[in-house]
Amino acid sequence: MGAIIENLDKIINVSLIYATFRSATPIIFAALCAAITQQANILNVGTEGIMLVGAFTAVAVSYFTGSWVVGVAAAMLAGVLIAMIIGIGHIKYGADNCAIGMGVNMLALAITKFLLNVVFGMNGSFSSPEIDPIPRVKLEFLSEVPILGEIFCNWSIAEWFVIILIIALQFLFYKTVWGLRLRAVGQFPEAAKTAGINVNKIKYQAVAFAGMIGGLAGAHLSLGYSTQFVENMTSNRGFMGVAAMYFGGANPVFTSLGCLLFGFADSVGARLQAYGIPSQFVLMMPYIVTIAVLSVSMAVKLSANKKRQSSLN
Amino acid sequence: MNNNSAKAGFIRILVTMLLSLGIGALFIVGIGENPIDAYVALFKGAFNGKLRLGTTLAGFTPLLLSSVAFAVAAKAGAFNVGLEGQIFLGGIAAAYIGINWTFLPKPILFVACFAGAAVVGAIWGFIPAALKAYYNVSEVCTTILMNTVALYITSYLVSGPMSAGTANAQSHPVTVTLHQFMKPSSANLGIVIAIILVLLVIFMLYKTTWGYKIRTVGTNPDHADFVGINSKKVFIGSMMLSGALCGIAGCIEVLGVHGYFLNNFATGLGSNGMLAALIVKNNVVATPFMAFFLAVLKAGAMGMQQSTGVPKALVDTITAVFIIIATMETLIQFKEKAKKKAETEKKEG
Repeated sequence: MGAIIENLDKIINVSLIYATFRSATPIIFAALCAAITQQANILNVGTEGIMLVGAFTAVAVSYFTGSWVVGVAAAMLAGVLIAMIIGIGHIKYGADNCAIGMGVNMLALAITKFLLNVVFGMNGSFSSPEIDPIPRVKLEFLSEVPILGEIFCNWSIAEWFVIILIIALQFLFYKTVWGLRLRAVGQFPEAAKTAGINVNKIKYQAVAFAGMIGGLAGAHLSLGYSTQFVENMTSNRGFMGVAAMYFGGANPVFTSLGCLLFGFADSVGARLQAYGIPSQFVLMMPYIVTIAVLSVSMAVKLSANKKRQSSLN
Repeated sequence: MNNNSAKAGFIRILVTMLLSLGIGALFIVGIGENPIDAYVALFKGAFNGKLRLGTTLAGFTPLLLSSVAFAVAAKAGAFNVGLEGQIFLGGIAAAYIGINWTFLPKPILFVACFAGAAVVGAIWGFIPAALKAYYNVSEVCTTILMNTVALYITSYLVSGPMSAGTANAQSHPVTVTLHQFMKPSSANLGIVIAIILVLLVIFMLYKTTWGYKIRTVGTNPDHADFVGINSKKVFIGSMMLSGALCGIAGCIEVLGVHGYFLNNFATGLGSNGMLAALIVKNNVVATPFMAFFLAVLKAGAMGMQQSTGVPKALVDTITAVFIIIATMETLIQFKEKAKKKAETEKKEG
């Protein structure tokens, strides 16, 4: 404990800001994937699986074509295909969200393991110098500026893109016709139907769009965050994303703020490891923080709701 | 459930099973192997000889408990993905008691191991259940995240305070073990305990007030509250029962299969139990049979990988396809039209 207090300035400093954002980015992508379908009232339990398939596809395609752009595009396409299993199953054949979501997660885990064996002849993980990673943006003009340079100067393209995506989704959900229809379908499907909106069509669109973002989440994880594919490399980030989506009520900005909290827990934990905290405690920290934050936010929401209702009466 | 719909349900499962084995066969053809050879090897790998049959039975035991545990929680409307964490913590509790409480006479120590495992599992089920019941926190999210927490807690304990000091992270051997009756396989008397427990649970669900309350809450919590059943308490109770069953599964794994706590031992046990229950729509009577079928697939996978070139990950793929098809309620409807639709669906997928 003493060592931690002595070295507090090494644990909490400027570079922690980027470290937090870096750990949060894959979760933000996942949370946005879950938020899109949630707006249409489809709980996306399969986020984890969509991400995992995206991660594998990105690495495989980038390895064979030598181009990260093709890899990312393929990952997004794969994400859409996997998401459509959920979409068709749920919308057309009445499958329970949780059940088919967990089924897709297991399918993703199994099929990536299977393909890792068959395509690369590997068990557990695959990495190669021939995988073309998502490049980083070096902002030369900032590198000399003291604090800003440390924070902004070396982001991956996907990390810049996630900020654009958050803003774009916020605009899409709350300022466009499609967004209004999407939310109408989610909240008042009968009213939406009466207003002449094709409910199922909007739902399919939402699922396909979420699949794209989920695939991108995976591609970022395997080509940006790291440059390799590891079995089950998403390690429940998809579910953290779903938790963050609950925290933010499927609002892109609030949802992303929730993700930053988990990223903070992750990166502080990683630093504490150097000071004698057992690695298992460090590794479980983001999960505990996620559960705690989710519980507190839901409790607060519930009591706020109760208050609002009681003032109406 | 009347006879007719039970029969329809049975045929539905059978068609689903054949469909997923068929899709699995496509995968096998895709990698240039013979699907019939592979499935024969799979079957042989599960049943041929004492060792293999015993291994299948040993693998069946935890699946039986975890699948019924999932179904019980589901009967009250809970989606307990936390089976695995409950198994891990039940296992570590049993190991701790079995190693350290040697002052107890052996029969009582036995009971203490099982009771400790059940209590710890129930507590791990209580947390997400209470969060869901009182604060509406999605139990799917919390239970799955708690699985990882449980894994790291046990991993810390067996590589730190409870470590036996071996290269593999594991605990000291426990002082009481369940009799293994099909050596050299690890099939043990735990299977008898599991079967008795499952029969008790089925009896409880359909022949007692408690079971009636659980089923009422699962079907319609508002109605339950209206007729004076505390739906929150029943919901939490069923999750705790689910956790306790998983804890006992962990205890059987530790006392019966390994004889010590092995790091990571339960990985996959929870998700497969969940699969078995989901496929038969949480029908507790059908769940054990599905658990057995999955246990056979799992146990045979190794044999298939050894005698043909098909990796055992294929079996996981087949079971995942199985569950995806099974969840699509209206996919298989015993009408020519529906069947045609299903086939085009299959081609697309």
